[in-house]
Formats: sequence, C-alpha cells, structure tokens
Amino acid sequence: MIPLQFITAFLMLFMGFYAFLYKRNLLKLILALDVIDSGIHLLLISFGYRLEDGTLPTAPIYTGYETLKGTPMVGPIPQALVLTSIVIGVCVLALATALTINAYRHYGSLDINKLRRLRG
Amino acid sequence: MMLPFLIIIPLLGAFSMPIMSLLGEKARNAWAILVSALTLGVASKVFYDVWSTRQLVVYTLGANTPLGKGVNFPIRILWEVDLFGALIALTIAFVGFLAVLYSIEYMKHDTGLDKYYTLILTLELGMLGIVITGDLFNFYVFLEIMSIASYALVAFRNDTWEGIEAGIKYMFVGSLASSFILLGIALLYGQYGTLTMSYLAVKIAQNPTLVGRVALGLLMGGLLFKSGAVPVHMWLSDAHPAAPSSISAMLSGLVIKAGGIYALTRIAFSIYATSINIKTVGWLVIFFGCLTLIVGNAMAVVQTDMKRLFAFSSVGQIGYILLGIGIGLAAYGTKIGDIALAGAIYHTVNHALMKALLFLTAGAVLHEAGTKNLNELSGIAKKMPFTSFAFLVGAAAIVGLPPLNGFASKWLIYESSALYNPFLAAIAVAGTAFCTAAYIRVIFTFFGAPSEAVENAKEPGKAMIVPMLVLITAIIIMGLLPWQINDRIMLPTVDMLKDQLHYVIAVVGGA
Repeated sequence: MIPLQFITAFLMLFMGFYAFLYKRNLLKLILALDVIDSGIHLLLISFGYRLEDGTLPTAPIYTGYETLKGTPMVGPIPQALVLTSIVIGVCVLALATALTINAYRHYGSLDINKLRRLRG
Repeated sequence: MMLPFLIIIPLLGAFSMPIMSLLGEKARNAWAILVSALTLGVASKVFYDVWSTRQLVVYTLGANTPLGKGVNFPIRILWEVDLFGALIALTIAFVGFLAVLYSIEYMKHDTGLDKYYTLILTLELGMLGIVITGDLFNFYVFLEIMSIASYALVAFRNDTWEGIEAGIKYMFVGSLASSFILLGIALLYGQYGTLTMSYLAVKIAQNPTLVGRVALGLLMGGLLFKSGAVPVHMWLSDAHPAAPSSISAMLSGLVIKAGGIYALTRIAFSIYATSINIKTVGWLVIFFGCLTLIVGNAMAVVQTDMKRLFAFSSVGQIGYILLGIGIGLAAYGTKIGDIALAGAIYHTVNHALMKALLFLTAGAVLHEAGTKNLNELSGIAKKMPFTSFAFLVGAAAIVGLPPLNGFASKWLIYESSALYNPFLAAIAVAGTAFCTAAYIRVIFTFFGAPSEAVENAKEPGKAMIVPMLVLITAIIIMGLLPWQINDRIMLPTVDMLKDQLHYVIAVVGGA
C-alpha cells in the first residue's frame, strides 16, 4: 500500500502544475510554484519517516532524550535538505514578488497574457 | 589544495562588495576586477593540476572519514573535479573576468552598481560550484544560486519594461525547471538513500529500478529547460537580449552550458552510463539536438533585433552540442562516440568565447549608437571599425570558417555524425546554412551605406576594447592550433569523462 503522505505529496504536485498551466494571474503563478515546492518537500520529508516492523521511528538527535536501543530513527538528512530547499524557495518567492510589483508598475496589470511586448 | 578557493574567493568578493563600494567607485571597480582575476588564477591552477596529473581532485567538506578510521563511506558532501569540470571552470572564470572588465565602462551610467557586481560574482560562483560538485543536492543548491542571480541580473534595469518582462518569463520557466530537478533528486534519494554522485552510480548499477529512470527523465527534462533546447527555448530568446550586454555574454556563453549541458553530461555519463540502456537516452538527446539546431538557426535568420538574433543563434549552437553529446551517448564506448563527445566539449568552450565576443560587440554598438535594431544600424563599420572587425571574427568563427576555432569543433561533430548516421550530418549542415545566412545579413548591414542613427557613433573606450581584443586573440590562437588542442586537451577530457570506474573509486575507495 502506498503511504498516505506520498499520495498527498503527488496530489500537491499536480495541483501546482495545474495552477501553473491554467492560471493567468502572476500572484497565482507564484503560489503555484510554492505549492509545487511544498509537494516536493513533503515527499522528501516523508522519505525519512519509515515504519520498520510496525514500530514508529523516534526523533533522531535530541538532547536529554535517550533513544531506545533498537528503535528506528527518523532520517535527519532529508530534514536538512528540506530546510535548505525552503530557504532557496524563500529567495525565489522574494524575487518573484519584487518582479511582480515592478511588472504591475510598467504594465498596470497582473495578467501574464498582457506581458507580451517582446516578440520575434 | 586550491579547490576550495574557487568558491571562497568569489563568495567573499561578492558579499564584501557593498562594503568596498563605501570606499568609492574606483575601489569597488578595482575590487571586482581583482576578485574575478584571482578566481581566474585559481581556476587555471586547478585546470593545470588536473590536466598535468590526469588525476581526479576530491575535496570533502568536513571529516574525510566521518564513520571512523579506514571507513571511506561517502555520507558527506564532497567536490569531485575531473578534466571536464576543470576545463569548463577555466572557461567560466575566463569569460567571467572579461565580462566584469567590460562592465566597468559599459555599466558606468547605471545606478546600484554594488548590487550589480555582487550579483555578477554570485552568478560566477554558482556556475563554478556546479562544475566542481560531486553531490547531487549540492549541485541543486549551486544551480539555484546561479539561477536566482541570473533572474535578478536579467531584470537589473528595472526602469525598462523589457528587462522586467524577460525577467519574469525567465524566472517562472527557470523555477519550474528547478522544481523538476529537485523532484528528480528527491526520487533518487528516496530510492537509493544517497546523494553522492559516484556512490549513486554504484547503487543504480546494482539495482536499476523504474524510479531511477523516472528520476533521470525528470533531471533531463529540467536540464534541457535550463539549456534552452527547442520546445522550451522561448524564455532564452526573451531573457538573453533583454539583459545588459555583459550579462548576455555570460548567460549565452556560460549559464546555459554550466547549468544545462555540463550537468546533463555529468549525470548521463558519471551516474547512469553503465547501468541503464544509454542508447535510448542518446537518441532522445540527438532528437532534441537536431530539432534545436534547425529551429534555432532558422529563427535567427528572420530577426531584426541584433541581440535577439545572437540569442537564437545560441539556441542553434546548443543544438550542435546536444547532437555531439547524443552521439557520444548512443555510440558509447566506440571511437565515433569519442570523437562526437570531444567535438561537443570543444564546441562548448569555443561557443562560450565566440558568443561572448558577439554579445560584447553588440553591447558596444548598443552603447555607442543607442539602438540594436538591424534596420537602423546600416553602415556602422565606417564609424566603429574595430568593433566591426571583432564582429566579423566572431561571426566567421561561429559559422565555422577554417582559420578560426569554430571550424575544428564543428568539423568533429560533422565527421562523427556522418560516420554514425549520414542523415544527422545532413541536418547539421542544413543548420549551418541557416546560421551563415543569418550572419551574412548582419555583415551586410554593418558594411552597408551609412544611415542617420550611426552618425554620432564612435569607438568605445579602452575597458570595452580590451575584453574584445583578448577574445579575438583567444579565438585566433585556438583556431591556429585546432588539432593540437583536440589531442592534448579534448580527447583526455573525453577519456576521463567516460572513465566512470575511476570517478567512483576516487570516492568510494577499493578497486
């Protein structure tokens, strides 16, 4: 059986792709990018959390908390990866909103179809 | 160990730029030139080391043996440089240095230049990171550093609608492509539990699964987006002309190579080459390459905007490189494959020099005559003889005339494609016919009867002449020694690139 979090992650991915292809408002496109990114982050995070022999994994490294010998741990690497990826996502979002503000100043519209002056 | 300084120097230089610009304009310009010159020095040293010893350079961030003495298990981030990476790094540092030098005069009238130099050095840093890394997630981080810096640089002149529109288009397409790449990396991690390229190669060879193939598809899709292959080249023809010319030279000459071609080649050859049926992948790349070289060159013929013409010509040249890499994959392990791959790598370096030169001349014309519309630029050769000469050299090199560097690399690609499948060679020659037509049109404009728009034009200043002169010299010298360069640099590069076993052993250990 496919775990629920994987299904959710791919659902988020397809929602994001749908919005990216069929929406025309620049802000909605930015949100679509963010939803795609979040879907991938969910996928990555859930790779670290696996059930082994029916036992739930515990937190990986936690001061003042001894892991029981033999209990599986949550993988720490995906969490580090997702943290990095979130930071990158924030940079892209900040730049995207800044460009959108500038586009509104020049074109007076947030419709992506109005941004059609470059041709050839 | 010089390798870490390849990242440290531009990183330090980029983020100390706002502080240096407090000391005044001169200090800031000098600092930018100094930092990029030092980077060029380090890149030459790394290239020379790898070239003379033919050994991979491996650098680990953190402990060499995190699991204790003697255990060489790759659970750390590491950089791994072979001759291909070092060669592209040298090209990046060289063209980057010239672009910074050119910017000193070209960008003189703009404001916010401390941010400009920060971004240009960050762009260089991102590309250098891509070519030296040996870890997939580290590759993604550097790819995003490069991409974000280039989105911002395309939209740098935010008082014009042109830059903003191109920047927005570039940003949305580029971010979608990055998401594809991240999804591919996430799938690989989920399936194989590692991100180190060489260890991943072992894992995939042991157990080639469907997930691994889907991940390859996603990575290839994302990287073809980033390199501007044809069905998805629309962003390139908008973004590259709209950027300031020094940035156009870096985008067209370097960014699509480092973030697209290099990464594609590295993933195909160093991770997947022996574990899956590489021939199918090769034919896919050949298909996109042929499509790209026909459409790109044909679209270049009908442009009236000079920089837009050069951008479409870049699309066309990417087609040749993809064709070479595709034949290298499809004929993996044969002599034909080696020649094609050598041609593709050679053309990558050559195109970086030629297209940088062409965009710098376009920038000089735009700077002095105030327009890049070919219908208004008639007769500019009388007013700007040196720039026109530079353009002539670049155009002749990109078309592939014998005494210049483009000839050898294109010849290798034609030769190998004719040997592999004559139909492909016919397509490649047809692409060159379109390319020649496009550039002859510009030459006729340059040397035609003088028009009004060019009356006040004059030669640009020294800081713009010198980079063009250096590029012309490089093109002519490389053109005079084509087969020596091929035998001494390109073929060893191909050998090292194809030597997947050594790439793996250098990290995992054992024999």
